[in-house]
Amino acid sequence: MNLEFGRLALVLLFAIIPVVGIALGINSPGLRARIPLLVAFFAGAIPIISLYVPKKFLSGPTGMSPRLDQWLIIVYAFAILLGVVNVLQNSTRKIARRESGWPFSIVLLVGLFATGGAGIYGAVSRHGITSLPDGTATPFKWIQDQFFQPLQSTIFALLAFFMASAAFRAFRARNTEATILLFAGGLVMAGRVPLLEFLAAPFPPLQPAAAGASQALGKLTEWIMDTPNGAAQSGIIIGAALGASSMAIRVILGIERGYLGLGRGE
Amino acid sequence: MANVLDKLLSLDRRWIFLLVLLCVGTPIVLPIGLPVATTGSTRAAFDYIEALKPGDYVWISFDYGPSSAPENDPMAEAILRQCFAKKIRVIVCAFYPLGGLGLATNSLAKVTAQFPNVRYGEDYVNLGYKDGAAAAMRRLGENIAEAFPADVNGTSLTQIPIMKGVRSIRQVQLVVSVATGVIGEYWITQVHSQIGTPIIIGPTAVAAPKYYAYLNAGQLVGMLGGMKGAAEYEKLLSARYPDMARFYQTTRGFTATKGMDGQTVIHAVIILFILIGNIAYMSRRAAQKKGA
Amino acid sequence: MRTGVLSRTSARLPSFAAPLIASLLVVFSQTALAITPEVSPAAPADLPAPTDFAAKDRPGDSGNAILLTWKDPLGLDKNAALQIRRAVPPAYDWTEITVAKPGAERYVDTTAKDGTVYRYEIRTVSAVDTSSTVPAGPPLVSDPVASHDNWFRTEKTNSFIASVLFLVILLASIGAAKSGKKIFIRRIAGLNAVDEAIGRATEIGKKVLYVPGSQSMDEIQTIASISILGHVARATARYGTDLDVPNKDPLTFASAREAVRGAYLAEGRPDLYREEMVNYVTYDQFAFTAAVSARMIRERPAAIFLVGYFFAESLILAETGQSTGAIQIAGQADPTQLPFFIATCDYTLIGEELYAASAYLTREPVLLGSMRAQDIAKAIVILLGITGIIASSLGATWFAGLFKTQ
Repeated sequence: MNLEFGRLALVLLFAIIPVVGIALGINSPGLRARIPLLVAFFAGAIPIISLYVPKKFLSGPTGMSPRLDQWLIIVYAFAILLGVVNVLQNSTRKIARRESGWPFSIVLLVGLFATGGAGIYGAVSRHGITSLPDGTATPFKWIQDQFFQPLQSTIFALLAFFMASAAFRAFRARNTEATILLFAGGLVMAGRVPLLEFLAAPFPPLQPAAAGASQALGKLTEWIMDTPNGAAQSGIIIGAALGASSMAIRVILGIERGYLGLGRGE
Repeated sequence: MANVLDKLLSLDRRWIFLLVLLCVGTPIVLPIGLPVATTGSTRAAFDYIEALKPGDYVWISFDYGPSSAPENDPMAEAILRQCFAKKIRVIVCAFYPLGGLGLATNSLAKVTAQFPNVRYGEDYVNLGYKDGAAAAMRRLGENIAEAFPADVNGTSLTQIPIMKGVRSIRQVQLVVSVATGVIGEYWITQVHSQIGTPIIIGPTAVAAPKYYAYLNAGQLVGMLGGMKGAAEYEKLLSARYPDMARFYQTTRGFTATKGMDGQTVIHAVIILFILIGNIAYMSRRAAQKKGA
Repeated sequence: MRTGVLSRTSARLPSFAAPLIASLLVVFSQTALAITPEVSPAAPADLPAPTDFAAKDRPGDSGNAILLTWKDPLGLDKNAALQIRRAVPPAYDWTEITVAKPGAERYVDTTAKDGTVYRYEIRTVSAVDTSSTVPAGPPLVSDPVASHDNWFRTEKTNSFIASVLFLVILLASIGAAKSGKKIFIRRIAGLNAVDEAIGRATEIGKKVLYVPGSQSMDEIQTIASISILGHVARATARYGTDLDVPNKDPLTFASAREAVRGAYLAEGRPDLYREEMVNYVTYDQFAFTAAVSARMIRERPAAIFLVGYFFAESLILAETGQSTGAIQIAGQADPTQLPFFIATCDYTLIGEELYAASAYLTREPVLLGSMRAQDIAKAIVILLGITGIIASSLGATWFAGLFKTQ
């Protein structure tokens, strides 16, 4: 049995202590509520400490921190199972009660079982999930190529339409700030593409001037992106990073508990 | 006139959608061939790779999925072509979970077919997909084999000739992350900040404004912003390597240069709509003030 | 007939001489081979030795690395190179580990095994080809050294000091807040509108739709969103408004369910809580977007909250929500999608306003204290930034060097 210190420490902190705590807390809801806080503390503190302490048991390839990363992936896999069960429960309930939109739930279940089944069969039979031993595509790959990818691209393409309608509605010179936004947005939109060359295309005498103006516009656009935009982005990134650090420390120290469903004083 | 302007202000968005469809679709069918002007950030990226020597290592990470392939695929392919032309050794990986590896495989297949002299395992290698991008990147700084013990075919790294000269990412001269989402930032925070490896990012146009902060801070050596950046890179590549221009002058297949035609038209239409919308808005406000 | 040197020689010497000479040659060559191989040949004058060669454990690492440093010899030819070899004492079986170019003066041997003692040798060679036929200068041998893992990453000292300073400021601010000190927090329109939005949904009799971002619970923005969800769920429990929380990520789904259930229990309305309030949709980004957009169009919620970490789906969700006429409150710390939320939503929480939400909504002194600590840290960053601009402008580049992370 592998008795590395890091492995033992993880088992103690994330298995033994929580189980013992929950057992002791059967009659004490307060203690029971504190076990997740303890787990959160160690789960947060270990990666932070491993950032500064390069000891093998902590941050080496089989250390506590990389092991926690691996455990997260395993927990994730079980959580996906939880999600799929929830989808099945909701869909079957909708079909049983004939709630509005129930035929779509049938389509969802058929898709879930067909795709999931094809993938699981490919894995279990060792034929391959995306391609058979002879190189041809499996049913799973066929569903991915013929349904999944085109549908993904279609929904993503909706962005072009929504962006146009959002710009039409939102870029109004309502006040000073909105006017500045309008001008900056218009300049960047015009400067990022050969717009002036496009407009001058039917007028050959104007094309050299259009090319020169386009170049100047491009330089102005680059300045807007580099200087005001770059400065604002840096400010937001730094502020958000400090906010995230503060929030993270609050979560690790158990000050912030809303994500656990615990309220004030709990 | 006031009625017309009022109607425009409350225009059903489906008319806008129809116009967008026509503006984006028509140039694809009837290309215009508009010129592309290059910008400093793309030129910086191109020049950085041009300055590398034959035998240097470039790590290209496919951190995007099928949804942003029209923007990111041309970037990745152009950089692959430049690396192969300069006999730079290329290590490819994918960190994007849904489709990243498939896109990496497709791009490599497409470009290596155009360079018959490049050999898998000697001139390039595909290390495959790895989950947990940030954690894997941290391991790359110590030993690549800890994150990628084998290539996409399952061959151990010790048996791949190209990997004999590089044990950790510290020995790689450049990382190029073609990214959508947050994985591009991980390369900056986990690899450049911790190890110092130069990074070039090829983000989607939506994410590009954020990366200007990193570019100005010197944490990036270059950036290809969206399809415009990809089109600029194609232009720079064709100018430097004229025999590659044929890849971008083909009437079949999609290139970023072709995509810029549609983008130009739609930008023009949106600017026109904004102007009309504002004229209508201003005249309505003036009329209300008069009435009040 | 001339047949070669040996035959010419043997023609002049006595008959026993040739075998004798041959035997002596064999004996002599074997003796030569028996000499330890580490006697280097005489150093040519143009291959001077490097100096100050030192081998030590690389500081601040996880082990398996030895740091070698040296000074290149003066007048080193540009075609020369420095060969480094390694042996495990007491044997002297040298193995080449690298050939360094002039100017490097540093190499890290990452193939060392912790606990194993090594010796290193460095010598100048006249070309990159280090075969034994190429002349080599006199070697310099290091003291025995072994690698091991260390207790502290020295290159992260500045980051460690900053982290400790931030923690101290945070704990001090929380302590001050607990002692009753009043803390001002500016008005945040988006958070003020939360109750207004829920009230509107209650009046109309339609549901509140809350989307907690598209990322998992390892993302701090998602944790912030779940905290706000708890507050929203308390309000919907209090007013008896329907709540719908679709989730893209399974871990977020599990956490959201606990947050909403806990909120309804805390408000004393467990009867109003239904399991299907918090539901898992799908992990795929655009499938999730399509499902939630369709839900918005079909069910027409009165209030939509888009709070958390979104990617490209942000505009599709927000624009669809806008088209239904719902009041929309969005929030994200990452700046990428913020422009879309600002253009389409009624209220937007920008950047760290998202993290301030739990303190703002609950007004708990401890949380307000942490907000104050954030602002103090930001003030320090601004001051350092201004100082850095002045220092760099005056040529004091060492100041910026204090903040390097590698």
